[in-house]
Amino acid sequence: MAKKKEVLKSSMSGKGRRAIKKIPTYINGLDEILNGGLPAERTTLIVGEPGSGKTVMGMEFVYRGANNGEPGIFLGFEEPLKSLRQNAFTFGWDFPSLEKEGRLFLMEGRLPPEIIVSGQLSLKPLLSIISGKAKEMKAKRIVMDALDVAFRLFDEPVQVRAELHQLLEWLAKSGLTSLLTLKPREYPPGSLFQDFFYSMADCVINLDTKILNQVSTRRLWVAKYRGSSFGRNEYPFIISEKGIRTIPITCFELRHKPFGQRISSGIPSLDAMLGGGYFQSSCILLAGEPGTGKTLLCSTFVQKVCQAGEKVLYVSFEESPAALIHNVTSAGVFLEPFEQAGNLKIMGAMPEATGVEEHLIKLIDLVEEMKPQHVIIDAISACERMAGKEASFDFLMRFLNFLKERGITSILTNQTTGTKSQIEISGNGISSMVDTVIFLSYIQGEKEINRLIQILKCRGSGHSNQIRKFMIKDDGFKILD
Amino acid sequence: MKKERISDKPRSPAHYHFRLFVAGDEINSRKAQETLHQICTRYLPGQHKIEIIDVLKDYKAALTNEIFFAPTLVILSPPIQTKIVGSLNDPQKILDVLGLAKTKEDE
Repeated sequence: MAKKKEVLKSSMSGKGRRAIKKIPTYINGLDEILNGGLPAERTTLIVGEPGSGKTVMGMEFVYRGANNGEPGIFLGFEEPLKSLRQNAFTFGWDFPSLEKEGRLFLMEGRLPPEIIVSGQLSLKPLLSIISGKAKEMKAKRIVMDALDVAFRLFDEPVQVRAELHQLLEWLAKSGLTSLLTLKPREYPPGSLFQDFFYSMADCVINLDTKILNQVSTRRLWVAKYRGSSFGRNEYPFIISEKGIRTIPITCFELRHKPFGQRISSGIPSLDAMLGGGYFQSSCILLAGEPGTGKTLLCSTFVQKVCQAGEKVLYVSFEESPAALIHNVTSAGVFLEPFEQAGNLKIMGAMPEATGVEEHLIKLIDLVEEMKPQHVIIDAISACERMAGKEASFDFLMRFLNFLKERGITSILTNQTTGTKSQIEISGNGISSMVDTVIFLSYIQGEKEINRLIQILKCRGSGHSNQIRKFMIKDDGFKILD
Repeated sequence: MKKERISDKPRSPAHYHFRLFVAGDEINSRKAQETLHQICTRYLPGQHKIEIIDVLKDYKAALTNEIFFAPTLVILSPPIQTKIVGSLNDPQKILDVLGLAKTKEDE
């Protein structure tokens, strides 16, 4: 108790230079944006339209708290408890067990359907309930979802203000870290309700959904955080099957792992051109026109490293896994056994199926689960179908950054359309991420078409400056002398 | 008509059972208590029972009865679903809910 008082005192005096006390939300990525979490024992406001994710964020806040030694109360003014529990189950959150163990208390604050108002009233019973319950279960967190509903019975603004004041004052003294949610539409800026909350809350988080090129993206944005720094951008987030996920690039310092040892591309003559092969944890781009053999070049590498017992995640944005496996067999590359053995995972995905965040989080989850040494993305040119050039850039930069931080080799293919411009070859402005560029092309002779391979860039190594002919035979990729 | 019915068939003494949830001695709660007593004395003499529950002392009662506002009047008998919240500044509303007409001297 003495300790708690001291903290309150120093923060209230405003003189203490000490950073304010925070509690982590334990929500994926959110604490990074909030620079550690929500202000402890203070009030945070979440503002968002219906469907923007306020309730989920509130539920996750108490759920994660309950699992980290901080019992919590969830007071919902809109949803019946039954549907709250069901929704929680869809994220794998077992509310009933936590309730039984006294780590979570759910309460439905909906107004009874048959209620008559006669004269002035107060919210004291509600406060009495939560205060009694909070003491009983030693709660640390409280969420009041759609609190505004509770004020619908009050018709005089003066009364609303008085009740709100009492509520927030009670919260401030309660020692609970509170999260209140509010819909902006019903209480536009300038309205008493919103102004009051904005000024009383120590932290305000806005949630919204934006449609960009027909793909909707949820975004969150911290509008205010008293006494703390915070990420000031708009951060995309998703509501995944595990709850809220966001992968903010808040600290974009480069933490890339240095190159590891040489690894064979699976084609000895190409290794020679590269001065000894690819580097582990580097990023290799294979650019070229359709049909030049980019997928085969990747698959040859995949076969080689899988033979050595290493693991590969192959992200295929253009072909289904079955089609991919089948098509490369004609050139003597057999991936099926490795897929069956678990060394190779081919993830077929339609780029336009979801937004950048969903793709990114799905892939990051897969990488963390599978722990591959190498990742193939075939093809990055298809990524633009996610939601345009900008979205594609966003996706690639963040995914490649993630891979480089973990020392994972990435091989990207990029389909060019024959302009041979450097920008198009390196693909969507990601050239700073790319360490090696191999370019494949055709040259049309009188009676034949010749395929050509050249190395445009190879960081950290001397490399061949030649343009070499190559052929695709039934036993694979052959570079001619 | 309704009043006649009541006088025709005298009910058991505690036929009207009220439970009033109050928040300590705050002014709205006090007013509600006064009004309820007045109504009972005038319209339901000898056939009412009033329970007063202070939610500040007994939060569990508020929780089990889902009382979030004070004062709240719950009518247990006759069984009436409607809850009346507020300082009960309009006795007519209670009479309406109970299905009682005003006596002549009121009019």
